[in-house]
Amino acid sequence: MRLALVLAMLVPFVAVGCGGDDSNTVKIALLLPETKTARYETQDRPLFEAKVRELCRSCEILYSNAEQDVGQQQSQAEAALTNGADVLVLDPVDSASAASIVALAREREVPVVSYDRLVRDADIAYFVSYDATKVGELQARALTDKLAADGVSSGALVLINGAPTDYNATLFKRGAHSVIDGGPYSVGVEYDTPEWSPDEAQQEMEQALTRLGRDGFVGVYAANDGTAGGAIAAMKAAGIRPLPPITGQDAEVAGIQRILAGEQYMTVYKAIQPQAEVAATVALALARGSSPPADLVDDHVDNGFRRVPAMILEPVTVTADNVASTVVADGFWSPEDLCTAHYAAACTAAGIG
Amino acid sequence: MAVDTPTVAAPGTRRLRPRAVLRTAAGAAGQVWQRVRHGELGSLPVVVGLGVVWAYFQIANENFLSSGNLTNLMLQIAAMGTISVGVVLVLLLGEIDLSVSYVSGLAAATMAVLNVKSEWPAVPAILAGLAVGAGIGLLQGLWVTKLKVPSFVVTLAGFLAWQGALGRVLGKTGTVNLSDDRITGLMGTFFSDAVGWALAATVVVLTAVSRLLRRRRRVAAGLPAGPATGDVGLVLVVAAAAVAAVAVFNDDRGVPLGVCIFVGFVVVFDVVTRRTVFGRHVFAIGGNPSAARQAGIRVDRVRTTVFVLAATMAAAGGILSASRLLAVNKSSGGGLLLLDAIAAAVIGGTSLFGGRGSAWSALLGALVIGSIANGMDLLGQTPDVKSMVTGAVLLVAATIDAVSRRGRLHDIRA
Repeated sequence: MRLALVLAMLVPFVAVGCGGDDSNTVKIALLLPETKTARYETQDRPLFEAKVRELCRSCEILYSNAEQDVGQQQSQAEAALTNGADVLVLDPVDSASAASIVALAREREVPVVSYDRLVRDADIAYFVSYDATKVGELQARALTDKLAADGVSSGALVLINGAPTDYNATLFKRGAHSVIDGGPYSVGVEYDTPEWSPDEAQQEMEQALTRLGRDGFVGVYAANDGTAGGAIAAMKAAGIRPLPPITGQDAEVAGIQRILAGEQYMTVYKAIQPQAEVAATVALALARGSSPPADLVDDHVDNGFRRVPAMILEPVTVTADNVASTVVADGFWSPEDLCTAHYAAACTAAGIG
Repeated sequence: MAVDTPTVAAPGTRRLRPRAVLRTAAGAAGQVWQRVRHGELGSLPVVVGLGVVWAYFQIANENFLSSGNLTNLMLQIAAMGTISVGVVLVLLLGEIDLSVSYVSGLAAATMAVLNVKSEWPAVPAILAGLAVGAGIGLLQGLWVTKLKVPSFVVTLAGFLAWQGALGRVLGKTGTVNLSDDRITGLMGTFFSDAVGWALAATVVVLTAVSRLLRRRRRVAAGLPAGPATGDVGLVLVVAAAAVAAVAVFNDDRGVPLGVCIFVGFVVVFDVVTRRTVFGRHVFAIGGNPSAARQAGIRVDRVRTTVFVLAATMAAAGGILSASRLLAVNKSSGGGLLLLDAIAAAVIGGTSLFGGRGSAWSALLGALVIGSIANGMDLLGQTPDVKSMVTGAVLLVAATIDAVSRRGRLHDIRA
């Protein structure tokens, strides 16, 4: 009796499973790396799915998120291939070890799109991302330009980099150093922040203050908005006023709010919509057996295996002056998201809401 | 044990003669060694260890023992140490709570979202955060005691589930900035010099009064009260510590409210565990659960209460952490927080095997772990080195615990 009930409940799943062999349905697997950063669940996934729906109503999307676990991403990719995925769109947890996922897909002649982070030493069909080195350059450039404009001609900087395990963080760091090194400003002290943790960044900044002294530095390079928040909390607790210029990245709500309140100088905005839509369009073309549309290839990137056709998007610097014309105008964040009670006045001053 | 317990004390001797001093010193050293061998070390190894760590970093960087850095160190460990106080309670029972880190994150997120998005005033929002902790503790405690599922498994499930709940509560914006003065003031308030000295005086007077009352009680009950010099010595040590601490804080920004909250929790739970019936029951259950049950202790009720207290302390720690960072995000409660909170309790001298430890071990252990992290960052060391050194210190501490425990078992057999 009970067994019959269980079997009856399984029937629909089995039926769907069989239907998977129907070659008319195109299946696109989207494999994202983590849930700690808000963007993947709230931006990348819905924008990607919306674009696929727009181009192909009958297409099926197999979505999974690896929660920062390399092993989990491997099994999620295997599951997608077992379920008959025609293309993998892969944002790897680890840029190097994801090569094994690509190898598995290529055995079954399934093409792989490397999304946001480059899979190295693997036979990938396409790469779409923002230029990570460029992000670091933009941050450092904005910081040094601001210092020069404020009449600070020399001095030490505190560098708070991202996670040592994240290849993008290495590129941000490289980009930042390419601007700072050889310029008028020196590196006072530099940290790599485990897991991009804001709490760690706060402690790093406190120790930088102890080491260099309250007047021993002129600006702070923080690799993203989370670490910038930690550094700002450290400086506020030490009673440093006014705060020196400090950078960020990701255009998080918390970061934009601090920019509006005058605590953080800038953030780097990488509109996710064009990235997700390019990935969706290319993935669909690959799934149908054609190559990436020529108008979506503007560059080639060497990933150690071959020169991969790629679309490299340009990140944008956001300061208090252009919050309204960038993140708000694009609908990246709504005025309601940004303008909570404490920031209402700052929002009005910036012409938002 | 009573091998060469020297007849020191010599209450009649007014003037100390050199030979007597020597004999006393040798006797004291012998006593320490006896205590090491018989597992009654208390906080001695960790204090020595802390001295070594501090000396090393001070030699490596002259700013390490500056008032500013010591104030920062206390603020850096306040949240983790508060969580560790709850961990000590659970360890005394011989249980474990792996969910404390994400309970702290979830409580802080609840407070932040209610305060910022729902515009609740600070106090109700903070109380709601603490209530989330207490509720989770009750749920997990009942699960362990009534359904007899091991605490390791119940709280491991909690570790996963509350992490998910944290993300759900924060919603799509991910990070919530805190700006309410009463919330950020928990860790951002520094008292004036005069208030600092008044606090130190209060601490000394309270210690003296409590020792005096204890002495009277023991004499009235016909129990040996020990030499009066012991009581005077203890009060002097407390006074010296209080004066030194306040002098350091006042040289920087003043005594921080957040540190008072943390140390206050340590003192309260020290008194609760040592001086109340509930506290003695906790030790009894941790030492031998079946004996405790046969002695008529309501074991399940005590254990559930401890889980509630531990989760509430975790919530309090999370709120302090949020107050310091001025924000709550999806990584709040993540990273090494759980391991640090448990390691602090163990390094501080609380046994993983139950029945032995003290609330002070949370403070001492957190100071050791915090000092290592603080010093490594001051030297600009990489996270890899930080982890390796902390691991080595934890291993040494756990080894001392295990070795001294073996000594104690020998005693019982003998």
